Amino acid sequence: MITKRGLCAGAIVLSLAAFPARVGAQSKADIDGGKLLFQGMCTECHGAGGAGGDAPSLNRPKLLHAPTDAALVNILQNGIPNTAMPRVRRFTDSETRQLVAYIRSLGKLSDGKVPGDARKGGEIYKNLGCAGCHIVNGAGGNLGPDLSDIGFMRGATYLRQAIVDPGAALPKGVLQVPARGYAEYLPLRIVTKQGSEVRGIRVNEDTFTIQVRDQAGKFYSLRKTDLELLEKQSGKSLMPSFATRLTAPELTDLVAYLVSLQGVAP
Amino acid sequence: MKNISRAICIATTALVVAAGAAVAQVPYDRIVKAESEPANWLTYAGSYKSQRYTQLDQINKQNVTQLKPAWVYQLRTGGVFETSPVVVDGVMYMTEPPSTVTALDVRTGRALWSWTPKIPDDVIVIGSPPVNRGVAVLDNMVYAGSIAGHLAALDAKSGALRWDVAVDDNKIGYYLTLAPLAIDGKIIVGVSGAENGIRGFVDAYDAKTGKRVWRRHTIPAPGEPGNDTWGPKDAWKTGGGSTWLTGSYDPELKLLYWQTGNPGPDWNGDNRPGDNLYTCSVLALNPDDGTIKWHFQFTPHDTHDWDANETMILFEAAVGGRARKLLAQANRNGFYYVLDRATGEFVTGTAFVKQTWADGLDAKGRAIAKKGLDPSAEGILVYPSIQGAANWHSPSYSPKTNLFYQTAVEMGTIFYKGEAVYKPGIGFTAGGGRTINGDDGWSAVRALEATTGKLKWEFKLLSAGRSSLLSTAGGLVFGGTEEGNFFALDADTGKPLWDTQLGANIRGIPVSFGLDGKQYVAIAAGFALFVFGLP
Repeated sequence: MITKRGLCAGAIVLSLAAFPARVGAQSKADIDGGKLLFQGMCTECHGAGGAGGDAPSLNRPKLLHAPTDAALVNILQNGIPNTAMPRVRRFTDSETRQLVAYIRSLGKLSDGKVPGDARKGGEIYKNLGCAGCHIVNGAGGNLGPDLSDIGFMRGATYLRQAIVDPGAALPKGVLQVPARGYAEYLPLRIVTKQGSEVRGIRVNEDTFTIQVRDQAGKFYSLRKTDLELLEKQSGKSLMPSFATRLTAPELTDLVAYLVSLQGVAP
Repeated sequence: MKNISRAICIATTALVVAAGAAVAQVPYDRIVKAESEPANWLTYAGSYKSQRYTQLDQINKQNVTQLKPAWVYQLRTGGVFETSPVVVDGVMYMTEPPSTVTALDVRTGRALWSWTPKIPDDVIVIGSPPVNRGVAVLDNMVYAGSIAGHLAALDAKSGALRWDVAVDDNKIGYYLTLAPLAIDGKIIVGVSGAENGIRGFVDAYDAKTGKRVWRRHTIPAPGEPGNDTWGPKDAWKTGGGSTWLTGSYDPELKLLYWQTGNPGPDWNGDNRPGDNLYTCSVLALNPDDGTIKWHFQFTPHDTHDWDANETMILFEAAVGGRARKLLAQANRNGFYYVLDRATGEFVTGTAFVKQTWADGLDAKGRAIAKKGLDPSAEGILVYPSIQGAANWHSPSYSPKTNLFYQTAVEMGTIFYKGEAVYKPGIGFTAGGGRTINGDDGWSAVRALEATTGKLKWEFKLLSAGRSSLLSTAGGLVFGGTEEGNFFALDADTGKPLWDTQLGANIRGIPVSFGLDGKQYVAIAAGFALFVFGLP
């Protein structure tokens, strides 16, 4: 299987030659300038200080999409195809240098390690029955997202929130963005004109039709003109909160386990 | 309907006769009277009025559900496919991305010939995808622009190159994506490239020889009226004002209407204080020499990339009890404008989407811009979005309903100001924008009363697609979605009557034509051109 990461890494390798980076030494002024740019354009998804959010955390020593400054420059200039990472805007050389300086400075603040015992967390994952809905390395159910590389895709702060308050961790809004390269897991409540009710996850949608999978895995393909109600439950998740089922140390261990899931190396 | 069927047959016959004789196949007079032969689609937008309306009514509200594909033409390569085909006497001339011209047999979809210009590997295309939106035909030739910045004339029968001219230098960012406009003996083109610090212009070329007849720069030089709207420095030299979509023409008034794009750099106006004429404007030009008869600027001193290149529709209506020759545009800045096309006088204007940048329009149609909404380092949220409420996607006007059909995009952008550094051939944009995470931008096909802009109905699309529209005498409006639905709405009410899934986003621009007494509708979607007709 070609993973999303595999595709992205390939794209970066291809375009390296086209964008030789001459980023140079990182001065304090560059870092400060980069911080200003980052706060305006990047924190909404990558979190303040690059701590992560709807997008991967950047406060780690190694960035898998951007192992070199040249690769980072390329991402800033072009975004990452088939992911939610856009080219926000065109940058001048000095703006690029400042952003690279700031993002690299984030990686020096942290060793990338998170607290908790990943091995114990793996046991908790098993005991809670997470695999009923999630796949890790090929095993599990597919009602929820595949978690094989979730430690790469999301930071610890986000993962903790996703366990405690799953609805808040879902992508904002109800619009599908195919270019993001992942499903939105948008819960739906549908009532047909004949009176039958369907609750499930949106698989796909266009202006005239919608495709749904319910919790039992049954698939529905519906025309919107046949529906009495189509309720998109933005901010809700089919996943229950585990806030009251885990002690604080258990939660920390579970997060450590999820952070350890880094997928298949590109 | 009977009349229309007859019109289709007559047109077909006339064509054969014309082809048999050694006369020009599509003389200028034929284009002037394009509306009288609805079996053909002779210009980019169907006629000089750019109404994208067909008088064919065989496909109608009652039978549209029976539409079936007649044939499909697949591109040999990928790319963003935004063509609006031209159909002449049984042959369809369309463009494939980035700049190939292909002639197809409209009966079968089989290619008759195909011509691809030389495109250098290091071609500069900044500000749009490398697309092409169509050709012009005149006499026995087909005309097309290329992303290499050239204009070519091809033999309509064989595709053989008759002449080729470099409109301007691609090395400094000029390129062509628009369908040229053929008028009496001249081919009119505009250029893309305002994200490269170009100085925009409209050009007229001798249709037979390719010799340039005139050039009208859209940014006045020192000494010319309007140069003082650029500040004391040299900002005018890199002022943008590109002309990247096909204009409209009134042969009676002898006025050519051409629209202009954003000033450069896009998002940082510090070095270009003033209104920045004639960016984000419409110019009414004398087709003989390119002189400006009048101008109207929609967005003075634009800093949000709201090009005014959107298609201008010409129509006639009574306003205040007086018959007027009008020009209407749904502008990227969120306002719908109606102008008197003889004088340029502002008639009316109103917002057709959510917009947060202006407190309406004043009596002369100038937007009352709010203060403090310029792009900034930290970003500022403004509606409409960076791509605008309207864009390249074609509107349509039906003389039967007197409605202006426009796919309106409801979306905001966080606008950023960046450093303004001009280097030839490198993007000169100085900023940019992004959507808000979770902002459910969407669009709707809206029917506006053409003389007032008042909303008559709307049909919501799932996402913020840019559906080009075609209205028909059969009472239909055709369009396509970002998710691949090709659909027909009731032109009077907006009720969806028919849809089908074409399997990829629809960026094509719909047209209609007739053959052997039958009406067809063509649309490009994904990497293919689809033609639909009744069984």
